[in-house]
Amino acid sequence: MSLTKITTISADRVTEDDIERKLYSRDLAFVPSIMVKPFFQTLPDAVIRPGNAGQVADVLRQATNERIPVTPRAAASTSYYNSVPVRGGWVLDMNDLRDGIELDTTQQTVRVLPATTWFDLDDALQQKGFAVKSYPSSAVSATVGGWVSMQGQGIGSLKYGGLGEQLISLQVALPSEHGELRTITRKSDPPLDWFVATEGTLGLITRVELSIRPRPAAESHHLFAFDNLSILGQSVGLLAHADPRPFTIFFADSGYLRLLERAGFDIPLDLPQSTFPVSEKGLLLVSFQGEPFEVTQSRDSLLHTAGKEMSSDLALDEWNLRLHHLRTKRAGPSLLAAEVWLPLDKLSHYLTSVKNLAERTRLLIGTYGFVVAPDMALVMSLYPTDERRTVKYLAAIGFTKRLHDLAARYGGRPYGVGLWNTAYLPRLFSRTQLSELKRRKALLDPSGIMNPGKLYQASFPLWPITFVPGATILGAAHVALGKDRS
Amino acid sequence: MKDKVFFEGLMTEATICSYCGYCRSVCPTYAGVGWESCSPRGRLNLIRMLLEGKPLTADQMKRLYQCTLCGHCTQVCSTCIDLRQFWLEARKQTVARELSPPEFATTLDNIARTGNIYNYQNDERAGWVEYMDDPPADLYQRDRAEVVYFVGCLSSFSPRTQRIAESFVHVLNAVGVDFTILGEGEVCCGYPLLAAGMHDEAQKVIEQNLERVRATGATTIVFNCPACRVMWLEQYACHLPGVRMLHSTELLADLVAAKQLPMKDVNRIVTYHDPCDLGRNGGVYDAPREVLAAIPGLQFVEVHERRERGLCCGGGGDLEMIDTALCGHVAAQTVRKLLVTGAQTIVTACPQCVRMLTRGTEQTAPDVSVKDILELVAETLDRPLKKSQDEAVQKCPDARHPKF
Repeated sequence: MSLTKITTISADRVTEDDIERKLYSRDLAFVPSIMVKPFFQTLPDAVIRPGNAGQVADVLRQATNERIPVTPRAAASTSYYNSVPVRGGWVLDMNDLRDGIELDTTQQTVRVLPATTWFDLDDALQQKGFAVKSYPSSAVSATVGGWVSMQGQGIGSLKYGGLGEQLISLQVALPSEHGELRTITRKSDPPLDWFVATEGTLGLITRVELSIRPRPAAESHHLFAFDNLSILGQSVGLLAHADPRPFTIFFADSGYLRLLERAGFDIPLDLPQSTFPVSEKGLLLVSFQGEPFEVTQSRDSLLHTAGKEMSSDLALDEWNLRLHHLRTKRAGPSLLAAEVWLPLDKLSHYLTSVKNLAERTRLLIGTYGFVVAPDMALVMSLYPTDERRTVKYLAAIGFTKRLHDLAARYGGRPYGVGLWNTAYLPRLFSRTQLSELKRRKALLDPSGIMNPGKLYQASFPLWPITFVPGATILGAAHVALGKDRS
Repeated sequence: MKDKVFFEGLMTEATICSYCGYCRSVCPTYAGVGWESCSPRGRLNLIRMLLEGKPLTADQMKRLYQCTLCGHCTQVCSTCIDLRQFWLEARKQTVARELSPPEFATTLDNIARTGNIYNYQNDERAGWVEYMDDPPADLYQRDRAEVVYFVGCLSSFSPRTQRIAESFVHVLNAVGVDFTILGEGEVCCGYPLLAAGMHDEAQKVIEQNLERVRATGATTIVFNCPACRVMWLEQYACHLPGVRMLHSTELLADLVAAKQLPMKDVNRIVTYHDPCDLGRNGGVYDAPREVLAAIPGLQFVEVHERRERGLCCGGGGDLEMIDTALCGHVAAQTVRKLLVTGAQTIVTACPQCVRMLTRGTEQTAPDVSVKDILELVAETLDRPLKKSQDEAVQKCPDARHPKF
């Protein structure tokens, strides 16, 4: 490796230490080495921590010249190996490119370095009388650049649109023999939208400019309990079209509440003692933010909500826990999940089908989600397992396909691609879309060094011919082995 | 926010960790070091490797101790792991495996031989009393008293922070509290040992202190050191049923509420730094603020990062024994944020925070003073504390201060 040729990076910003590199070879999801080691080189050859955009460009110049794979990484808070190398090379730990907040109060825009977390950005803006328009439900660690590189849909997207709509410009380091930093706008060539949701496969984002909003002067939160999942799903759909638009809508089924209860937390409604038959109960939290008159007016849209409204204290508690859904993992100690985009008009069907699946297989499955557009929800279906029992855990991994298949039946598709969801590429993109993505990749990264192995095509063993039967058999094994005894 | 945290054993919690990185976003030492291995989730994985029998190098082991035990990671953990408890238990395991850093051996030796972390003769523990105005013949060491003031090693021996002990005694005298100090009968509370993972050794000093306190018949023990207080609450309280254990600010707040603490005008802009062991780890946020609010003329400006989100001074968790430079880095970062308030004085309620923040101001804002709240209160009394010690000591906190 030619790390020494990157003269702008001091030695203390580079490591080839075995253990350190190992810590950079995983993300949120634990995957047993038997599924990884024979197929992918997840251990980077080195980890580099650039301190500024110039250093990022310099690393890409050297990597391009020597055709060394580069995997960008900040919080690594996704679970599809989006920021884990699969062909070795260099991991670029971008975390030192944080803060640098430049606020334009007139235009209501902000420029920020990419590794700033959404929590920190919003916190800084709130002190100046502004706020971000939307943020991920992992905002405490998820970074601005990371969310641009993913799909950018989360809390607040219902009212303000996805992050892609809020972006004004990006500064991007491109893989080039000369080390190139470019400002990308909607009108530039290439345009800004090429870099949204492309998971660091085209270049490295070194600065983000986005629109913001005045700090909301008022907010209100309303929690409803439901006894019927179909009615819950319908109510979510109705509220998503309310005018003024809610800031966010959160929903959860009894499986999610059961996971929380099993994890040792108090839940806001009573569930039957036995897990089976699966209760039809569920929760809906709707939150409004904006000017006081707007928030007051918004409450009118709740008049016809079918559920039973719970106390404002409980609603506020639920709102305050909006960034802490991983608490459910204590019911595991491991948790696996299928995260999907789902058409909102199919939410009732999906929730009911998950309930039926849980009942049929006698598996505990919890589902929660956020409405991210008037016609779309981001839905997570979770189930507990234990990674310390390798065989059972491998089988449990296979079961995610069953949930993805179920979502697909209602028009759902995986959220995010990375490595593992390349198995679902035909569900994610049409042939035309995929061809266009590949054309862009060939144009901007002809040597294919940027985050290789992700997004564009499945690698073995994720080919349909191996993945489909493999995951199906493992999923069936999970149904046989993982039955809930309670 | 979350209201529950759990600890069900190292391996279970290491498995429950979701690797989400929430902890990393708030960790003061990760911010200083920058490598994943120095993030709480990185450390947790190192410990998991250790438990699985994988060998770690001395540098990798050092990462486990580049932590101030500030508890901020516990506050934000998405899977509600009591990470402070996790780190303490992990350090205990490293001692059991004879893998703890050699630097801790010195501390153990010091405490075992002298009863204090400084390696001074323990009969010097109450030497600071002699600096005070007209100390009584008994030097505040009485056989029986309602209240025991447990001074702690820092306020007993470090010149800069001895002033805090003098101030507290001055306040206690002014309001007529029946109190005693333990003099050479007091030994280290054991917190530095517990933080080093040396639980057996900590037990020995616990027993010595318990015996001495019981002999006084006291119903209340009061501490100006938040770490001592947390240690007593967590390790001693079960042996002393019915005995109240208060931080000095809690006592002061009670006196303020009872209007027994008349204070004069202080024309100064101050901010307050929440010590980790008083706030996040000790649950006391309001008492110091109630005291500050009661000082006439004081302009109190809150820092944005306060209470549960309070900043770490860099001096906890025995980090000073392992990586002094990192302590200084954390302190300087914290001082920078505190100074955004425009305060002329940083007030805190912990002798170690006073030491570390003073160090931080030396690097970033030499004109800003750092005071313990007890010093501020003592200055406002009708008969203020004599400036008995050299003022220079205030800016030279470690003049007599040996390395741990």
